Amino acid sequence: MSDHQVTKFTLLVTGNPASHQSASNAYQFCSAALKAGHKMSGVFFYLDGVLTASNLISPATDEVNLPSLWANLANEYQFPLEVCVSASLRRGIVNQQEAEQLALSNYNLKSPFVLSGLGQLAELSAGCDRLVQF
Amino acid sequence: MEKKIGIVNRRPPHGTTHAREALDLSLALSAFNESLSLFFIGDGVYQLLSKHQADLILQKDFQPMLQMLELYDVEQIYVCQDSLSVRNISVEQLVIKTTLLSTDEINLQLAMQDQLMSF
Repeated sequence: MSDHQVTKFTLLVTGNPASHQSASNAYQFCSAALKAGHKMSGVFFYLDGVLTASNLISPATDEVNLPSLWANLANEYQFPLEVCVSASLRRGIVNQQEAEQLALSNYNLKSPFVLSGLGQLAELSAGCDRLVQF
Repeated sequence: MEKKIGIVNRRPPHGTTHAREALDLSLALSAFNESLSLFFIGDGVYQLLSKHQADLILQKDFQPMLQMLELYDVEQIYVCQDSLSVRNISVEQLVIKTTLLSTDEINLQLAMQDQLMSF
């Protein structure tokens, strides 16, 4: 890696993990960039991309489980998985705190995904060399 | 130096939530970034066409939120003139003040952005 320039990426993921290939592309890009020695400021999930943060996603055994792949990659390389809170709530992605505030019977945000505001995307966008959208 | 961010709107206002959530994003980013530009291209120009009746199709009428762009000092709002022409829409029918650009001029502006987010 020493003779390569290291790029700090932010990824914006807007594709539905169950129905849109862009969600898998985002994961593969992220994984490849990190293995090549690049840095990840963070991955921000927006629009239907927030569905990736559900711990209730249960694909058939011969299909990939994107939420688990993301969680493993983020734990291995220590970068944040930020999920837009307003886009999440309208799609039924809820953490414990929101569930209590909204008096919902349950919550389903997968660890280490975290709910955050659009301001966090502004911060990730300002702090990276390149922003790539999927 | 602050990054130039461009938000590209290419979809009609309803049918998917792309238009509405792109506007949410634009308003949020404007609080952090003063070099924000909005682009309305292709069917995206329908987002600006007046007299929507979103409630009839159980959709949220987000057009009043477009007026907030001015309050938030988002002034670089570019609309593709060719997209308006082929859809027979005149600039008087748009709900906010915009800058009309030809396809070439739009491409030039897009090339000047540091980051693009497309919806």
